[in-house]
Amino acid sequence: MADYAFPHRHLLGIEGLNRLDIETLLELGDRYVELNRSRIKHADVLAGRTLVNLFFENSTRTQGSFEIAGRRLGADVVTMPIATSSVKKGETLIDTAMTLNAMRPDLLVIRHGSSGAVKLLSRKVDCAVINAGDGTHEHPTQALLDALTIRRRVGDIGGMRIAICGDILHSRVARSNVACLNVLGAEVRLIAPRTLTPPGAAEWGAEVFTDMRKGLAGCDVVMMLRLQQERMDGAYLPSAREYFHFWGLDEDKLSHARPGAFIMHPGPMNRGVEIESGIADHKTRSLITEQVEMGVAIRMAVLETLARNAPDVGARNQ
Amino acid sequence: MSGRTVIYNARVIDPASGRDEKGGVLIENGVIADVGAGVAKTTAGDVKIDAKGKAMAPGLIDLRVKTGEPGAENKETLETAGDAAAAGGVTTFVVMPDTNPVIDSVALVDFITRRAESVAKVKVLPTAGLTIGLDGLKMAEIGLIREAGAAFFTNGDKPVEDAGVLRRAMSYAASFDALVASRPDTPALSRNTVMNAGAFAARLGVRGTPLEAEWIALERDLMLAETTGVRLLADCISTARSLAAVERARKAGVKVACSVASYSLFFNELDVGDYLTYCKVQPPFRGEADRLALIDGLKRGAIDAVVSAHDPQPTEDKRLPIADAAFGAVGLETLLPALLSIALREEIPLAVALKPVTSGPADLLGLPQGRLAKGAPADLVLFDPAAPWACDRDDLSSRSKNSPFDGRKLEGKVLRTWVNGVTVFERG
Repeated sequence: MADYAFPHRHLLGIEGLNRLDIETLLELGDRYVELNRSRIKHADVLAGRTLVNLFFENSTRTQGSFEIAGRRLGADVVTMPIATSSVKKGETLIDTAMTLNAMRPDLLVIRHGSSGAVKLLSRKVDCAVINAGDGTHEHPTQALLDALTIRRRVGDIGGMRIAICGDILHSRVARSNVACLNVLGAEVRLIAPRTLTPPGAAEWGAEVFTDMRKGLAGCDVVMMLRLQQERMDGAYLPSAREYFHFWGLDEDKLSHARPGAFIMHPGPMNRGVEIESGIADHKTRSLITEQVEMGVAIRMAVLETLARNAPDVGARNQ
Repeated sequence: MSGRTVIYNARVIDPASGRDEKGGVLIENGVIADVGAGVAKTTAGDVKIDAKGKAMAPGLIDLRVKTGEPGAENKETLETAGDAAAAGGVTTFVVMPDTNPVIDSVALVDFITRRAESVAKVKVLPTAGLTIGLDGLKMAEIGLIREAGAAFFTNGDKPVEDAGVLRRAMSYAASFDALVASRPDTPALSRNTVMNAGAFAARLGVRGTPLEAEWIALERDLMLAETTGVRLLADCISTARSLAAVERARKAGVKVACSVASYSLFFNELDVGDYLTYCKVQPPFRGEADRLALIDGLKRGAIDAVVSAHDPQPTEDKRLPIADAAFGAVGLETLLPALLSIALREEIPLAVALKPVTSGPADLLGLPQGRLAKGAPADLVLFDPAAPWACDRDDLSSRSKNSPFDGRKLEGKVLRTWVNGVTVFERG
């Protein structure tokens, strides 16, 4: 597998990746975990390459994670300040892309609030584009880091029963995770109130539940999703307390999962809304901080892999 | 309540099983211990009641009652409504949430339950607003309120106009398999109207409620019920076409039930007569063809519930020009007599006519009562199915007297009512 050539120029989503693609990234990610845990966390595979972070939506952890990943690989990392940039002055998305492209970056990490916007930009630039979250569509590096986290704990993901709970409707994390876990052979369950269950979710290759206790029965891993405040104002859900009562992960609901089941959350958490504090902080079962650690490693793997494929890689490496 | 009560020499009618035979009911500890031909004068018991050949049926279940409690106790309280219900043979009624304040929280559902338990002679089930304050915008805590005991969720007489809000609320309610009731109405068409639109309203010179006000809203509700999978109660439908729409949807697999107000089966628009404000109701009395179609639906078992649509209004709100008068009619005490009159006149078997006031609504709400079966609560009514009488509003137990039946001749009289085996009404 080490000589498998990752066949994609961009990482726009999990959809379109096969099992080998994903496992190649996971294995490389695994190696970077070891590097990140050593004293000198540095590799030079991206020396001389330019990584541009373009976050149209506010992000602390994902943006920081990509920055650290890029720096550890020796790339020149530039984070464009969108809030004060020409984008706010009315420049169109395409013009922004053309401008950036002219600066000849090698890797472009993009987060955007509109589904499909990252793909649109990818068509207009010459470098490799990594989707760091587009609207409610995909967030592939989150799914990969989740898979890496689970894999390191349980070995083979195949046959694991994994529940994804909460605001599936508005979650790009859920979409990417369902795709990724399906490819890796897990039995995926989606648990949400009907208002937060996307139409046709039953055709995603996951079993859909509204009742947490039924849905969690026998699960090996419980992935909670963040509930945005604006979903609790009476349109999708009546209140935070009702949500916690029926869908918040507490000891009682968790007791329906397999004993010792792992708990995950992509962060940032709403403690007391979708997850009880004690569970989020569980010493042996909560993998939430581990997910953050795996995030850096998997992003290093993605950056390295795509940089290798970048069209002008030969010319620049000489 | 302790001991055994034998009611014998009765005509025992149980719509749930279709039973209509001579026999009796044995009550033990508030529960029906035996029923049918096997219960006779000779059955061992502590108290024996000779029914004298009169009819015995499960106490009625009424899915649509308004009281004034809380907020307008001058109209009706849970206590006075309970008295009216007992006198009408109604042993369970469901109260609507459009009070002041609106019943839209766990605390208020709990209040209604406790208050009714302490003051009402019969069983009272609260409902809750589908949206907070019936604002038609923000959904109530449907899950928690359902756990607190709300029978269903409804916006009462303030329909949710925003289809997006209704769709999400229905979808959310479906998460809990909660029942959502919606009285189909399009305010843009029915605002400031007085009675059924048509030649008669035109002759009287008053604004009419067009049939489309009901049809449009009902079709919308049925479509949303279909796509969200919610259990829907099409509340108080009043037209032939509405009934056909419900039946068509039901055939297509939509989880829909329908209710009809007893007055819609009894009156037509001409009964508004000389601007009778007691006949100003929502939905309005419709044309005779619609009334007959609903009667036909009753015969065919297509109507899941017949309701009193009890809506007490004090004299001062009714003794006004018809355009200014309040909507609403009391109905708890006339629900059974009205149905019995219709059954007699239209030759409908009583086991069929009484189904939508007994096992029909009981099945809709998953209640153990509403049937004469061993183990069911002894909620019973003894009545004379053909006794003629003239309704006089001054004889009504209800605090408000706004009955369209005032002065009308009815056939069928309640003689005695039991709740959990205890007599709560007996005609002197």
